[in-house]
Amino acid sequence: MSNFIRNLSRRTIVQALIALPALSLFRNQPAIVDADEIVEINGWILRRSDLA
Amino acid sequence: MIFDSYEAYKQAGFKPKVCILGSGPAGTTIARKLGAVGIPVVVLEAGSREFSDESQDFYRGKTVGDFYFDLDITRLRFMGGSSNHWAGWCRVLDKQDFDPKAWAPDTGWPISRADIEPYLGEVHDILELPDFRPDVPVSDDIRWVQLIKSPAVRFGEKYADELDASKNIAVVLNTYATELAGDGKRVTGAKLWSNGQDAGTFIADYFITCTGGLENSRLLLWSNQRSNGGVVPNAAALGRYWMEHPTFEGGNAILANYSEFEVDGSNEAFFSPTLAAMERLQIMNFGIRLIESPYPNVKKLIADLACTAPDMAEWMSSKLDQKLRCAAQLYVAWEQAPLASNQIELSKTDVDHAGVPRIELHWKKSPLERRTLLEGLRLFGTTMAQKNLGRVRIDDWISNGSDYPTNEETAGHHHMGGTRMGTDVLKSVVDANCKVHGMDNLYIGGSSVFCTSGQCNPTTTITALACRLGDHLSKVISV
Repeated sequence: MSNFIRNLSRRTIVQALIALPALSLFRNQPAIVDADEIVEINGWILRRSDLA
Repeated sequence: MIFDSYEAYKQAGFKPKVCILGSGPAGTTIARKLGAVGIPVVVLEAGSREFSDESQDFYRGKTVGDFYFDLDITRLRFMGGSSNHWAGWCRVLDKQDFDPKAWAPDTGWPISRADIEPYLGEVHDILELPDFRPDVPVSDDIRWVQLIKSPAVRFGEKYADELDASKNIAVVLNTYATELAGDGKRVTGAKLWSNGQDAGTFIADYFITCTGGLENSRLLLWSNQRSNGGVVPNAAALGRYWMEHPTFEGGNAILANYSEFEVDGSNEAFFSPTLAAMERLQIMNFGIRLIESPYPNVKKLIADLACTAPDMAEWMSSKLDQKLRCAAQLYVAWEQAPLASNQIELSKTDVDHAGVPRIELHWKKSPLERRTLLEGLRLFGTTMAQKNLGRVRIDDWISNGSDYPTNEETAGHHHMGGTRMGTDVLKSVVDANCKVHGMDNLYIGGSSVFCTSGQCNPTTTITALACRLGDHLSKVISV
């Protein structure tokens, strides 16, 4: 175990673990895809759901 | 009465009040209307009862601009006119085709569809049509439209016996007017050419030119030039605003179930935009024709779809096993924006055997029309996908903005405009009654009076307008 972790209090480690899920808020959210959206690809006029 | 020569006609001593030039759908219909109320009419037909190369040669001309058909094959010069090669497809211009469109300059007629509707009963008898059925909305943007494929009445054949038996109508074959003479108020006479030679001057109280959507302009341009403006005193629009129905294969469709749409006897269905869609996209009217695809084309299309949308292609393949009729070619014909620069001019170098300058047709499709083609296919494709009726693929040359192909259908052989109807003498040649502005006794019949072309074949509307003009003249001319 590194000195860095050895120097942290148990309380600090627990607080950090509790906060971990909140980090996902800062990640890029996946775009909400409308399956019925009309797209034009290679001349085809399709629903996005066609593009599986 | 039908005479094979002007000489034979002269010997009969017939005294007509009205002289109609041309025996196509417009000329024959107007003559029958007038003859029915006892007005004596002579119809001068340039050709004979049958096609001949010699007669057809008078129609040779030149096109400048976009690729177009040879002018001597795109119309016919014998009794019955171009009805002799008409395919028989019938539909009347839509109500919205008569209305001005803010996004397309010089659109709008001085009459509405309601003005020709009273004559549609007669038109159905003449063209042997069942009743038209209302359009069926497919979405807010696209409507199914009916286009009746009629028996294609050949006016010369259908009405020959009736005209021959008529006491009020004289049809004179192999005879036509090389020019009209006028004094700026009235046509004073017509210079005739019969059986290959000058046949003198013909005088009548009224003249109606029904020589077709190219020839009406040519005759009047030449007449006006020879009469120093005495035949069409307001000639700014003469020969201008000429229109066709450009027609090209636009793509393919795979349909979930071909029987979703009502098809005609040839398994074809037709679709057009709603007025709301035209307004929103600022495009012209168009017609999409679905034609059932041969089976090998279907497999090729699904293979192409598999590269883009594998699941959809797999689903289509399973549909294919259940129902072979599930793919179609898409042909698009559209309304041309009326442009003054699309015009008929007289050749400065080439004349026909009677010494009349041949036609030089200046014709070019506009960027608005190119947009109509692309956006029209997108509208149709979007409706098919949204309603899950099928999927559409637009041809590459349209999507990527390449040149129009020159090995396709090109256009409908529909010649419209040149002597258009209107109230502004700078932008039209005839008034709402098809009378030439400023002239007391000169009228025009046929599609050259069209202000806009709509998307449908013109013969039904031509015949309706001819019934209307015949009705109007029967009230104007005393028996």
